[in-house]
Amino acid sequence: MKLRKLEMAAMGSGRGTMDSQNQVQSDTVDRLKSLYPNVNEEETPLPRSWSTKDKFSYIGLSQNNLRVHYKGHGKTHKDAASVRATHPIPAACGLYYFEVRIVSKGRDGYMGIGLSAHGVNMNRLPGWDKHSYGYHGDDGHSFCSSGTGQPYGPTFTTGDVIGCGVNLVDNTCFYTKNGHHLGIAFRGLPPNLYPTVGLQTPGEVVDANFGQQPFVFDIEDMLRELRARTRLAIDEFPLPDDQGQWQQVLHRMVSTYLVHHGYCSTAQAFSRATGQPIDEDIASIKNRQRVSKLVVSGRIGEAIEVTRALYPGLLERDVDLLFLLKYRQFVEMVNGSDAEAGGDAGGANGVATSVISHTSHAPANGHQPHTNGVSEAAEESSAAADVDMSPPPHTNGAHAEAEGCGTRASVERMLAFGRELYAMSQKLQQDQFVKSMLEDAFSLLAYSNPWDSPVGWQLEPVRREAVCEALNSAILEAQGMKWISPVEACVSHSRELLRRMARAGLGACAFADLAALLRR
Amino acid sequence: MSFDLANSGQEKEDRKYYDRNKGDDLQISRTDMNMLIMNYLVTEGFKEAAIKFQQEAGLQEPALCSSLDERIMIREAVQTGRIPDAIAMVNALHPELLDNDRYLYFHLQQLQLLELIRAGRAEEALAFASATLAEAGANDPNALTELERSLALLAFPDPHASPFADLLLPSHSQKIASELNAAILKMENQEYTNPKLCSLLRMILWSQSELDKHNIKYPKMTDLANATIEKPKHGRRL
Repeated sequence: MKLRKLEMAAMGSGRGTMDSQNQVQSDTVDRLKSLYPNVNEEETPLPRSWSTKDKFSYIGLSQNNLRVHYKGHGKTHKDAASVRATHPIPAACGLYYFEVRIVSKGRDGYMGIGLSAHGVNMNRLPGWDKHSYGYHGDDGHSFCSSGTGQPYGPTFTTGDVIGCGVNLVDNTCFYTKNGHHLGIAFRGLPPNLYPTVGLQTPGEVVDANFGQQPFVFDIEDMLRELRARTRLAIDEFPLPDDQGQWQQVLHRMVSTYLVHHGYCSTAQAFSRATGQPIDEDIASIKNRQRVSKLVVSGRIGEAIEVTRALYPGLLERDVDLLFLLKYRQFVEMVNGSDAEAGGDAGGANGVATSVISHTSHAPANGHQPHTNGVSEAAEESSAAADVDMSPPPHTNGAHAEAEGCGTRASVERMLAFGRELYAMSQKLQQDQFVKSMLEDAFSLLAYSNPWDSPVGWQLEPVRREAVCEALNSAILEAQGMKWISPVEACVSHSRELLRRMARAGLGACAFADLAALLRR
Repeated sequence: MSFDLANSGQEKEDRKYYDRNKGDDLQISRTDMNMLIMNYLVTEGFKEAAIKFQQEAGLQEPALCSSLDERIMIREAVQTGRIPDAIAMVNALHPELLDNDRYLYFHLQQLQLLELIRAGRAEEALAFASATLAEAGANDPNALTELERSLALLAFPDPHASPFADLLLPSHSQKIASELNAAILKMENQEYTNPKLCSLLRMILWSQSELDKHNIKYPKMTDLANATIEKPKHGRRL
């Protein structure tokens, strides 16, 4: 359990998010991700091309496995050949869509576009077999797991663009031709179908667009409508019978959140207005508030001292937590926010390290209220800008001498602290996260401008939140209280439910947009 | 699973469960959570708490609506049982509101009736009910049921010990106060009248019902206020 805390700090507050950000940047515009934002591609990859393995031998692929051509004899229907996409359609798409452009109808134009389940015979056109569905170009019929088609839409031929849409909320399928919706073709579709095309006569060539290029049909309009409909279903979801209590539930949630995070005056004001009881001593809340403020303003050394004084034994019992705090203290030394970094020569404002060669680009810290001077130091550290603040007498030329990383004295202090941190890590259960945290922290020393370095994310004040949360949770837990507030547990739970829906193939989860709800 | 201290063994597991969730890139920041709470305070008209919260959490100044002061006074009047005052203030603010929403008007009058019952003024209560509320009851079966429940309180020597005592609890008048508040906001074309917190909780209820509909096992939140979650029963595995 304890290691999770570190994982949380390392992953949640840094690495994980950084990696995904980088990925988005390198792919510049990944249209698929914006079409299907709720799909977790690590679990269920999106179809992005045709499979080079899951196809009949008469099928040839080219152009990054997006172009399909027929290379058989094409004498009878026994020469039909199909290919499936690399992956099945994830339910979390909610509404899935792909388009196929007919490059050439070849000899007879016997082409089928549709869906099929894993394992369906590829020596056939889509729609002819169980769990296979297709719309055929020569007669415009739809084939629903049957060798006999039903009249459905117009025929299609060279130059036409045929789209296939799967609604994973109600499990239906529709087609489009050149941007026009042709109506629902199939109902009651099974889960995990693959986009599939089949060809049957020589010269037939088609190109697929799985969403990397703009579609001819306006699928985003349909997505918007489904999203609005789901939002309405949620906002109008009938409340449980004991509705009179609903208001109490909401008030309770607000009140417990305020108390949990030590927003003491707000909790008291809210309690006066609603009569919600506060289940913790005001003094106890204020103590936690004090510790949290210190962490959030980067004064970790002081936070540790105050924690030791107020909650003796807590940090001794929880070495992982102590390590997390010390790690943060090291980072704050680089940041110039931690008073202890200055040691005895602490300086008037507690900012002693001279690494500040540029203003930290961190956003103005909105988290510190202006009581008991807690926020002053951190603010001045950002305001310090280009001023070199090293207390020892190397005032001029400090930049040059420091080679961008502080004066020798402060660097030595940091190195000593780093050695202490390393020694401490050796006593912990060895873990990937401990290692990566140490690496990232020590890497800060390698840059003349650590804020602008690849590991600079650690210096952002927002990274203090996870540390603050871990410490606050530990204090609450040690006092026999819940380590997470009910409203935050609800956010986590809601996310977990949506994940379960995705796994169970319930496409509606795609349109229950938790992130948008929290931000709108 | 539960957060009770008695199940400390289980609780540890819970913590792991949540920490893992925190690791994904959808992590909700403290700022987003604070905004969720602030949104509640503002839409529900808790002005003092909203201003305190802005200071304490270092948030941007909340976008308080123009009618906030009036809404606070109206809420207070409703919650302290001064219903005629509340109705007068609503009529001054939006004269057509209660004319158009008769059910809401009925709820306010019902509160007035409940105040009379609470004060033990049974005869006045009956007179008030027949003079003002009977008509609403005749037009709307829901209103009639609620009227009957309210008057049934008179049949008990101690209404607070009756099966309908919930009507006399502060939670009932708070609920009506919120209905009224939402109606005023809607009147003023506030695009979104439900606090986000409501939507979050409704999303949980909606997701759980979708999963139930498909017989899928999942950890179910059974008590929202305490965020109590029951682990799914793994009957099939045994």
